[in-house]
Amino acid sequence: MNELQVTQDLITLAVIRSGIRLATPVILGALGFAMCNRAGVLNFAIEGMMLFGAFSAIVAAFLLGNTYLGVVVAILAGGLIGAIFAAVYLKYKVDLVILALALNLFISEMTVFFLRVVFGAFGSWSDPSIHQLPDIEIPIVNQIPIVGELLSGHNIIVYTSWIATIALFIILFHTKFGRHIRAVGENQSAAETVGIDVARVKIFVLVLSGCLAALGGAFLSVGHLTLFTRDMSNGRGWLAVTAALFGFSHPIGVFFTGLFFGFADAFAVRLQTVTTIPPSLVQFLPNVAALVALILVGARGKIREELARRRFRQRAKQEVPGAAATPAE
Amino acid sequence: MTAQRRRQIFDAVLIPILAIITGLAVSSAFILMTNTPPLVAYQELFKAGFGCETLDNCSLFTTLERATPLILTGLSAVMAFRSGLFSIGQEGQFLLGALIAAWLGYAIDLPPVLHALVILVLAMVLGAAYAYIPAVLKVRLNVNEIISTIILNSIAALFVTYMVNYPLRANRNSTASTPIIHSSAELPSFFAGSHWGVGFLIAVAAVIFVWFYLWRTVPGYEQRMSGQAPFFARYGGIRSERAAIRGMLISGALAGLAGGIEVLGVNRQIVAGFSSGLGFDGVLVAILGQAHPLGVFLVAILFAGIRLGAELGLQITTNIPRELGGGILALIILFVAARSLFSDIINLFRNSFGAGRGIPKEDKA
Repeated sequence: MNELQVTQDLITLAVIRSGIRLATPVILGALGFAMCNRAGVLNFAIEGMMLFGAFSAIVAAFLLGNTYLGVVVAILAGGLIGAIFAAVYLKYKVDLVILALALNLFISEMTVFFLRVVFGAFGSWSDPSIHQLPDIEIPIVNQIPIVGELLSGHNIIVYTSWIATIALFIILFHTKFGRHIRAVGENQSAAETVGIDVARVKIFVLVLSGCLAALGGAFLSVGHLTLFTRDMSNGRGWLAVTAALFGFSHPIGVFFTGLFFGFADAFAVRLQTVTTIPPSLVQFLPNVAALVALILVGARGKIREELARRRFRQRAKQEVPGAAATPAE
Repeated sequence: MTAQRRRQIFDAVLIPILAIITGLAVSSAFILMTNTPPLVAYQELFKAGFGCETLDNCSLFTTLERATPLILTGLSAVMAFRSGLFSIGQEGQFLLGALIAAWLGYAIDLPPVLHALVILVLAMVLGAAYAYIPAVLKVRLNVNEIISTIILNSIAALFVTYMVNYPLRANRNSTASTPIIHSSAELPSFFAGSHWGVGFLIAVAAVIFVWFYLWRTVPGYEQRMSGQAPFFARYGGIRSERAAIRGMLISGALAGLAGGIEVLGVNRQIVAGFSSGLGFDGVLVAILGQAHPLGVFLVAILFAGIRLGAELGLQITTNIPRELGGGILALIILFVAARSLFSDIINLFRNSFGAGRGIPKEDKA
């Protein structure tokens, strides 16, 4: 009886741990989308960038014989995709959504194409010479009873996602460049007027989001597994977009919504093994939560708008009697 | 026909053609990696995608069969785009239409034609209802329709997986599937051994309907104006929110219809893992077809043909992975979107054919 209790506790802890792991690609992708969103760029290519990161990480790890180098190559490759994206968007004025859809399709199809042409693999590929990213114990933290077990013993990409969250928070809200990014997102022409280089900001966020999403993809192919399969990102890029909006494009908020999605995922897996609840019903959970969150976000915006309008009307009434009837443009 | 109108048509036709040529040219680089001469590969692709040797061995029929759902989901995307909503919810609406068709196809008994008719109408209603959610969220709460439709797509896909695996499952085989529909619900095909049939005629009718609705009726005009110039529309007294919701309802109905036709006319059941991507392709078809019904019709056939050609021609005959087909399509979409890339070439064409003054270069970045 007592032993059973302990096992159950352990499994619960394991579920939280796996939730933290599963959240990593979503968090990284969501941070990328959030940064773009802050600069007024809707980057729906996160899914494709993530898939490309997964692909280039494992291929580079194989060719260079070092998994860490593979991760670095993935980051660079993601940045390159972001740069191409930015160049086509800024130079040729291609609609961003269309560009993203085309890029997602292209990467989804051509990664499989290349695997077959280069490695002769059908849809999924791995090689015994590729090592998984090792888990790293954090010296002092891993001595703390439960917290240590949760926070320590992850691979470098998990830690990077935490550091990136804090770094992006600082950049966005406590540096001049971050203020520029937000200014471009809030009012592009005003930002241009005061001399902010809008193109540079947009290139920066697109390259950065490419790097982050690709790092998330690398987690899938060399961190979580050592394998690449067709459409490996499997909608995580889209989940990341949802998480970013759910977290109001604020790095800290984005981190916790990403974590929530990870937990929901891990919980679905656990419910599936422990109970007979159909897995597809359990997977509803994060999707329905996301939809509800979207509705709440929308309602919040609407309510704020309404409150602002009311306040404006009241002030107008106080200052100029009768002006409330004809609100100024 | 005014000079401006002529120029519009000229652009609308020339840009996709240039994009297709450029897309194929760039893809040649990938074909060279496989040590096959590009021209040989393209010959195989087009032979397998659009060729027709005898009536029994006609891949064009298969292409038209596969183009049928693409035409309808493409039209669905056009209806959404033209109301100003970039909805990509066709996949979810398609899946629900397919689900109800697979279920009612065996669960109820009705006389032949009526059975199919009832099912298709219900598939349209269900698709429309599912499209109503993102529409009303957008109009009332300003929820981004791309995001909401992405989530609704995955919810619909999960729901279909659940229904096929549990409540509607026909047997205990390793792959779950619904029972085969009754013959009274089947949509007949033109030739034995092919599924190209009545569904295609419905799709053609839908092309004409969408064109007529958008360009020849008052609600269609209101919808286009609300999509193109919302402020102008409201100034002119159009209730643009209503027009947008109306457009989305028709959009959902078309996608649901596509799902219904796919089950009644081709698959006759739903097998687990039925996540076709046909709804998503519809969005791309609508983009390539310049959000015009006629463009959608032609591009859907091109799309289906290139996919089929890549499967049968490239993969089987020349051993080039069929994924190249999707790669080519992605490049073509990219080049269509990057139309300013071609403005120099278009000006050149226009000057040499004397079709009027050249267009000014769009970009000044």
